[in-house]
Amino acid sequence: MPVAPTIALLLLLVLLLSGSPALGLTTLRMLGPEDVGGAWAEVIRRFEARNPGIKVQYISGPWSTDERQNMYIRSFLGKDPFELVYMDVIWTAKFASEGWLLPLEGWLPPERWEEFLPGDIQAGLYDGHLWRVPVRSDAGMLYYRKDLVKEPPRTWAELEATCRALARPPELYCMVFQGMQYEGLVCNYLEHLWGAGGQVITPEEEVALLSEENIRALGFMRRLLQQGFAPRGVITFQEQHSLEFFQAGRALFMRNWPYAWRLLQDSPLRGKVGIVPMVHAPGGRPAATLGGWGLGIAKGAKDPEAAWRFIEFATSEEAQRILHERRGAVPSRRALFEDPEILRRNPHYGNLYQVLLSARPRPVHPEYPRISAILQKHASAVLVGIESPQEAAGHMHRAIEGLLKGRKASWPRRLLLDYDLHRTLLNTVLFTALSVPPEFLLGLLMALLVNAPLRGRNLGRLGVLIPWALPTAVMAMAWQWMFSNPFGVINDLLVRAGLLSAPLDWLSSPAGAMFAAVFADVWKTTPFVSIILLAGLQAVPRELKESFQMEGAGAAKQFLHLTLPLLMPYIRVALIFRLIHAAGIFDLIWVLTKGGPADSTRTLSLYIYDLAFRYGELPYALWLTALFLLALMLLSVIILRVLTLRYERVF
Amino acid sequence: MKKVALYALLALAGLYCLWPFLWTVLTALKSPQEVFALPITYWPRELSLENLQGVFYKRPFGRYVLNSLVVAGGATVLSIFLGSAVGYRLRLRPLQSAMALQRWLLVGAIVPPALLVIPLFVLMKKLQLVNNYLGLILSYTFLNLPFAVWMLHAAFRQLPRELDEAALLDGLSRWGILWRIIMPLSRPALAVTATLVFIFSWNEFIIALTLMPQQEMYTVPVGIAMLSGVSVYEMPWGEINAAVAITTLPVILLIAAFQRWIIEGLTRGAVKA
Repeated sequence: MPVAPTIALLLLLVLLLSGSPALGLTTLRMLGPEDVGGAWAEVIRRFEARNPGIKVQYISGPWSTDERQNMYIRSFLGKDPFELVYMDVIWTAKFASEGWLLPLEGWLPPERWEEFLPGDIQAGLYDGHLWRVPVRSDAGMLYYRKDLVKEPPRTWAELEATCRALARPPELYCMVFQGMQYEGLVCNYLEHLWGAGGQVITPEEEVALLSEENIRALGFMRRLLQQGFAPRGVITFQEQHSLEFFQAGRALFMRNWPYAWRLLQDSPLRGKVGIVPMVHAPGGRPAATLGGWGLGIAKGAKDPEAAWRFIEFATSEEAQRILHERRGAVPSRRALFEDPEILRRNPHYGNLYQVLLSARPRPVHPEYPRISAILQKHASAVLVGIESPQEAAGHMHRAIEGLLKGRKASWPRRLLLDYDLHRTLLNTVLFTALSVPPEFLLGLLMALLVNAPLRGRNLGRLGVLIPWALPTAVMAMAWQWMFSNPFGVINDLLVRAGLLSAPLDWLSSPAGAMFAAVFADVWKTTPFVSIILLAGLQAVPRELKESFQMEGAGAAKQFLHLTLPLLMPYIRVALIFRLIHAAGIFDLIWVLTKGGPADSTRTLSLYIYDLAFRYGELPYALWLTALFLLALMLLSVIILRVLTLRYERVF
Repeated sequence: MKKVALYALLALAGLYCLWPFLWTVLTALKSPQEVFALPITYWPRELSLENLQGVFYKRPFGRYVLNSLVVAGGATVLSIFLGSAVGYRLRLRPLQSAMALQRWLLVGAIVPPALLVIPLFVLMKKLQLVNNYLGLILSYTFLNLPFAVWMLHAAFRQLPRELDEAALLDGLSRWGILWRIIMPLSRPALAVTATLVFIFSWNEFIIALTLMPQQEMYTVPVGIAMLSGVSVYEMPWGEINAAVAITTLPVILLIAAFQRWIIEGLTRGAVKA
């Protein structure tokens, strides 16, 4: 049977029918942000002109980096990946460890790596292979006002001395940076950590954050705020806010990325700004956090050779020059920083090159997103002032260590290593212990009150019922408003009543946030206890009450010896129900505090929810859920045993 | 004297319970500028509907309301239908074993939704019911069914058994008895159960948050909770309060309308639980 010719014929037929223009044409797809300035269109046009038979399709994705990462992940999982993977530095490790990429060192052997900036290559290495070739580079650096600062500082101490001499807040602050709790804060923090000689993870995969260097780095960041060198507002700043503040002439220094340079040249500060590497600890070396984008090849791409041909061109000097001219992209090839044409038009590239040479990638690790979340949280807690540098260093170290060791351990062992689990468990116990007793006390009082034979008690019962029936998540929003500062009514009432001398920032301190959560929960769930206990009170037989009264027993005695024992079954039900629901609390906290500040109100349910839906740890989350459920059942059984009175057991 | 003290306490308790709602309404009725005025005003200087209008004009709040109505309405109808069927079936059994079965149902109902959401999500994903009204309707029915059975069974049991026997003799089928006799005679219980299931579904948050990740599919609580800003100054608090007031008002009206029966129904059930 002539099988091969038949298949060939069939293939030809299919190709003809599907309207494919030519045989052997390879199409490569690449997802990136909107192609501003047509830079990529130009790169692709030149490439296609020289490579007939290969078509490159640039898909304009959303601006959000996270969104594009998700689109890539979905394409990998859908088994029809975009052949060209245009990656942010921090995606590489995850994509590589999932087996979604092809190693590239066969095409780009190590001896050619020197053509690129060292950090950019290092960021593409994971597990001994190269997965990503850098297209454009990026690094954090220090902008300073040349016209005001004669000698740019090199160390923290020099910066602080300059601040003391020149800054005049609130008109002129010393320094602005990115202090909001997001990825940018990690970039800022790492520059200080590295600048002090510290690191997050050693090459041996040991966490190294419980170090003097880390404490010093966090201490420096905190001093910037404490001494008023940085405006209080930096804790809400991202890149754009910092730039606006600096551009308005309100700060001497700014930490930012190279993109700010061009924008500053179009502002009143033109010619008044210089750049230098980031300041570092005395005795340390300047460090910059590396950003930037690069290309890799998806595993499963039908024609990897063609994909490589495009990557080779897109990372060439010719293509990088186009990207630089049309989009302001910083090249990743060393040679371009000595290019007279580029240097003539960008005199600052000499300094920028120095910064880029010292740039380091963020930890290249498949768990980077969670590592970053931990670093963000505690660096932010230090800036806001709710954790000391020592405390924050301890939390960072233990949380990351638990995470890294835990992912290799069996599940039971992971329970012992999971630092976040321990902290959230503790918060859950605390929340439950603080909220359930007042609910019972108040609930009992209210039940007695609305059971009293008064006119209009139905109205009272209605009032008591209402908090129970209102949507928790929605009312959590109302509580957030009432606890806010300065517009919150709770502060206002307390100050008017003389109980507070000044308004408090309830939701941004750990104790205040916990109090707010407990207070709102008590309000919301006391009615439930009241309803159940009311049912119990109504079931106390009138004859018994009357006979107690005839014997001259006082109200207290009647309550202790008649009402309370008869209420016991109701108390049991209400207690079990309340304990279980307090321990499983989610809605209220998710909306009111999001678990913050610095995880101080994060309970187990929030943690498990994050595991499942943010960190992609569905099996582990399911397993924890099952354990949690088991623990709650056990608790219920114990309560049933302990709270069942002896005489009740007879029946 | 003692009476006066009790009345004072009752008034105080009522104020405490209603205060967050009242404050929301008061805030919603202020003008957007007055919301952020210092010192705080306790009574709006002038009543303004701007916040209430803003909720509908500036945001897809109308869509959220529609989603919530569809989901809560669907879950209510389905829960009442299934709850009646199961409740009726239980009524035919001897009291002892019916109560035992019901207790097991209640054990399921006590599990907090936060612990059910992950398995539910896995299931709905498999059934391809994420971002689909049906997925949420089924989940809410599952969640509320034990409660509906409990309420309806208690009500059905109060009807004399002779009714069934007479109806059987008249040639009615079991379904016919339920539909033509039992359910019409239990109208108050059905109304209360439907009201409460509707309120529970209207209020539910975590499962809606998880099963409806697309913004057009948000229910009202999720839509409100997702409104956020970087700092207290950037949050649209006037509109948030308006949205909260609009969401909670129908609940309060429903509760007020059925208050008597709700307490009666709940306390009757609680006796047996």
